[in-house]
Amino acid sequence: MKTQTLVSLTALLSLAGCASHPKPAPETTPPPAQQATATPSPEAPPAPPSEVPAIPLHQPKPMELVVLARPDTPIVTFRLVFHSGSIDDPKGKEGLTALTATLMAEGGTQKLSSAQLLDALFPMAAELDTFVDKEFTTFSGRVHRDFLPRYLDIFTDILLAPRMDPAELERLRTNAISDVENGLRSANDEGLGKAALDALIYAGHPYAHYTGGTVQGLKSITLDDVKAHAQRVFTQDRLVVGLAGAVDDALKQSLLARVGTLPATGAPRVTLPTVTATAGRAVIIQKQALSTAVSMGYVNPVRRGDPDFFPLAFALTHLGEHRQSIGLLFNELREQRGLNYGDYAYAEHFIEDPGTTYNRTNIARTQQDLTVWLRPVEPSNAMFATRGALYFLDRLVKEPIPQERFDLMRGFLQGYSRLWEQTDPRRLGYAIDSLFYGTPDYLEQYRQALTKMTPQSVQDVLRRRLHPSALNFAFVTQDAETLANALRSGQPSPITYASDKSQALLDVDKSIIPFLVPVRADAITITPAQTFMEK
Amino acid sequence: MRRLLPLLLLLLGTALPAFAQSTSAPTQAFPYTLKTDTLPNGLTVVRVPYPSQGIVSYVTVVRVGSRNEVEPGKTGFAHFFEHMMFKGTKRHPEGERERILGAFGFDDNAFTTDDITLYYSYGPSAGLPQLIDIEADRFRNLEYSEPSFRTEALAVLGEYHKNAAAPFLKMEETLNAAAFTKHTYRHTTLGFYEDIKAMPEAYQYSRDFFQRWYTPDNTQLFIVGDFDDDQVMKLVREHYGPWDRKTSTITVPTEPPQTQPRNAHVDWPQPTQPRQVLAWHTPAAAANTNSSALQTVLVAYLVGPTSPAYKQLVLEQQLVESISSDYVDHRDPHLFTLTATLKDERHRDRVRLALLREVSKVAAGKVDAARVKAIQDNARYGALMALQTPRDVGIQLGWYAGILGTPDGLQRHLAHLAKVTPAQLSEFTKRYLQASKLTQLSLTPKVDSAGGTK
Repeated sequence: MKTQTLVSLTALLSLAGCASHPKPAPETTPPPAQQATATPSPEAPPAPPSEVPAIPLHQPKPMELVVLARPDTPIVTFRLVFHSGSIDDPKGKEGLTALTATLMAEGGTQKLSSAQLLDALFPMAAELDTFVDKEFTTFSGRVHRDFLPRYLDIFTDILLAPRMDPAELERLRTNAISDVENGLRSANDEGLGKAALDALIYAGHPYAHYTGGTVQGLKSITLDDVKAHAQRVFTQDRLVVGLAGAVDDALKQSLLARVGTLPATGAPRVTLPTVTATAGRAVIIQKQALSTAVSMGYVNPVRRGDPDFFPLAFALTHLGEHRQSIGLLFNELREQRGLNYGDYAYAEHFIEDPGTTYNRTNIARTQQDLTVWLRPVEPSNAMFATRGALYFLDRLVKEPIPQERFDLMRGFLQGYSRLWEQTDPRRLGYAIDSLFYGTPDYLEQYRQALTKMTPQSVQDVLRRRLHPSALNFAFVTQDAETLANALRSGQPSPITYASDKSQALLDVDKSIIPFLVPVRADAITITPAQTFMEK
Repeated sequence: MRRLLPLLLLLLGTALPAFAQSTSAPTQAFPYTLKTDTLPNGLTVVRVPYPSQGIVSYVTVVRVGSRNEVEPGKTGFAHFFEHMMFKGTKRHPEGERERILGAFGFDDNAFTTDDITLYYSYGPSAGLPQLIDIEADRFRNLEYSEPSFRTEALAVLGEYHKNAAAPFLKMEETLNAAAFTKHTYRHTTLGFYEDIKAMPEAYQYSRDFFQRWYTPDNTQLFIVGDFDDDQVMKLVREHYGPWDRKTSTITVPTEPPQTQPRNAHVDWPQPTQPRQVLAWHTPAAAANTNSSALQTVLVAYLVGPTSPAYKQLVLEQQLVESISSDYVDHRDPHLFTLTATLKDERHRDRVRLALLREVSKVAAGKVDAARVKAIQDNARYGALMALQTPRDVGIQLGWYAGILGTPDGLQRHLAHLAKVTPAQLSEFTKRYLQASKLTQLSLTPKVDSAGGTK
C-alpha cells in the first residue's frame, strides 16, 4: 500500500515511480567491422584471476574531520562513518553490528528513553539514522540550525551514552528477525536474489552473511554482547567525522571534543581472507513467485583507485546504469523485447540510496563485486533473458563500443555524475569514501578520466578486466527444478514474441538463444527460501 | 480524430484556473520565488530560481490518473500511457529522446498515481533548449507503433509481477474493492491484473487517451534551478504555444455514502506479518479547504512516532512492528487509513480496539494541543528539510499542483497545515471517522507446514 508522510519526497517517489523509454538506434546486428574502426583482437582474452586478495583500504587518521561548510543553507548535516560493519559480527552472532547500531540510534540515551528521544526529535523534523554495510557503519543526521545545541547533545549521546534498554533490544531484535523471515525471504524477490548472490560469491568470507543478520545469530545476541560490541567497534581509530552545511568552528570543536571521549581503540581489525574465485556456480532460491529474479556476478579485484576502474565503470554504465533507460540491457531486454521491467549492471557493489536512483555512499568494500541484475522475468523466459545479458556482456569484451555510442555515454556520465553530488549528505559521503579509497576529488577525477578515454582504450581494459566466464548466478523462482534442468542441459532457449520484431533483432536472437551460460552442472544448488540466512 | 465512448462528455473550458502572470515571494515555510504564467492555450508554466550551479529540474504534471479510467476493461491505462509517453514522435522517433537528453546526462523518469501523472527530467541547465523542444513535441505530437505498444505492455506486466511479491499490492486491491462500489478508486493505479494482461489489444484506445487528457489546459509545467528566465520562457512559448487541444470531461461515478461497516480479508500464501487496516471514507483534498492538511496532521496525531498508540503498541507492549497510515491526498473523496503490522495474530483485536480508542478520544474532543503544535513544527521544518535539490522542489510543487489543481498547491497546503486547530481535528474525526464509514481489512499469512508454498 502507498505510504506518504508529511511532505516526504521519498514517499512521493515511491508511489509509482516507473520509467518507460525509447530504445536507441539498433546497435546489435551489424558486424564488428561496421561498428567501430578498431579491429577486434583475435587473441583469446586473459583468464580471470584465480584469486582476489584483500588489499586493505586506506586508513584515515583517528577521527579525521571532513567539513563541507556552505553559507547558503540553514541545515547542518552530520555524518559519522565508522570502518566497522557486518564483517565485525562474531561467528554465531551474525547481525550484531546492525542490531547494536540500531539499538543506539533508536533505543534512547541515558537521559532519554526511546519514546522521549522521538518526542525530542519530532518538532525539529530532525533526521537521525544509521546504516550498516559489510565494512562500514554510518550514523547520519540533519537538523535546522534553530535546534543545533539540543540536537548535538542527542546525536552525540546515542554514541557516547546509549540507553541499552533490554526491552528495546527485544523489540529491535524481533524486527530484525522479521526482516529476514518475512521481508528478505518472502516479500522481496529482487533483494533475495542479490543477497543470495552475495552469499554465493563470498562463501566462507565475512561478507557472506546478510548484513541484517541470520535468524539464529540474531536470536543468540545478548544485551552484554551489544554493550561490548559498541565499545569494540565504534571507536575513535575507526571513525571519520563529517560535517556539512551551516557549520562553524564552534560546532567542529564541540563535536570533536565529544566524540573524542569514545574508546580510542577496540577490537583488532578483521583480516579479510583472499577470495578464491570459483566461477560457474548457481544458487536457485525456491519460493512462490510469479516471475524469476536473476542476479549474476563475481568478486572483482578492480576497485576505485585502480587505474582500470574508471574505464570499467564507464563500460558497465553503458551496459546498464541503475534505473536509467539509456543502458544497453534496458533497451535490448526490456524496451525491444518486453522481457521485464529493467536490467542493470554495476562495476562496484550497489545499494540504492532511498528516494534516488544513485548508489549509496559509505559502503566501500575491500573486495568489490561486479554484478548484473535482471528484474523479474516470466519463468519461461528466464533462461533467454539470462543469455541475453551474457551475450551483451560478452560483446563488451570482444568489440569496442561504437564511437557514436561511446560519445553519447561519455556525455551522459559527465552530466549524470553531477546529480550524484547535489546534496550535503552525498557530498560528504563521497569525500569520506575518497579517504578510504585514496581517491581525492573522486567524481571530478572520473569526469577528467572520461575526457581521455577512447573506445579502444576502454576495450583494452575490458579485455583484461571483464570476465563473463567468472560469473556466478542467483535465481529466485517457483519451479527451481525446471530451471536447474535447463541450466544443466544447456539446451537452447527459443523465444516467441507477441508483436512483430525487426529482422535485425531476430538475427541477434539467433546468437542469444543458444548462448553458453557458464554454469557447471555439478555446481547448482536449490535452496528453499525459508532456510535462507537461518544461521 | 477523437473517437468518443458513450461514457464521455466533452466539454470545452479549462480544467485549471488561469494565472495570467504572477510572482509569489519566498515565505518562511517555502523560501523560494514562484513566477507563474499561463499561456493562451491554458498551459501553466512555473519557474523557480534555485541556486543549483547549472542544474535544473523540469517537471510536467498532467491531471490524469487511474481515477480517469471509467471504461470497463481499461484500468491501469493512465500508468501504461505514462510508459508510452517515452516512445517518440515523427520528428523525434523512438530512441532519439535517449540520444538527445542522454548526451547531457538527464535523469528522465515519471510516475503515475490515482490522480496525476508526473514526468521529470533532472540534469544540466545547458540541455534546457533541447529538453523544451523534445518535451513540447511529445506532449503535442506523440506517435508510436502498435508493435512498440504491445512490447511495452509486457514491461508493465513485469512491473505488476515485481510489485506482487510483497503483500501491499494485494492489500490495496482488496481494500479498494471493498471500500468503493462505484468510483474508479475501486481499482489501483496499476489496474486490474486481467486488464493489464489485455493491454496489448488496446492500441486505438491509447491514442484516444492521449487526445483526451494530454492537453495544455490539463497540464502544469515547473522549471526549477539555475537558468535564464527570459530565454526559457521564450523557448516555452515558441514550442508549447501551438499546442491546442482541450481537455475532456468525464463523469467519474460518485461513490454512494457508506452506511454500514465493511470487512475484507486476505489470506497471504507466504510468510509475512499479519496486518490490520482501518479505513474510513474522508473528503477530497482541495485547494480551498484544509481537508488535506487536517488529515495530514491527524495521521501524525494518531499513529506518528510521538502518538500514544505508537508508545503503547510499538514501544511498551510491543504488540506491533509498526503502525502507520497510507493516507494520500486525492482529488475525490478517498480513504483515511490506519495500518498495524502485527507481531502475532493473537493480538489483532487488542490492537484494533486500541487504535479505535485513540480515534474515539479525538472525536470526543480530547486533543492535546501541544502535540498538535509539535506536528505543525515538524511539518514546517520537514518541508524545508525535504527540499534539498531542484528535483525535490519540482516534484513537491508538481504533486500538490496536480492534486489541488493550482500551481501554488504546495504553498496552500503548508499554509493550511500551520492553521489546523485541535477543535478542527476533533470535529473532522467525529464527522468522518465513524463506524458506519469504516472498512476493515485483515491479512493473515497462510502457509503450509514447511513454511512456504510449493
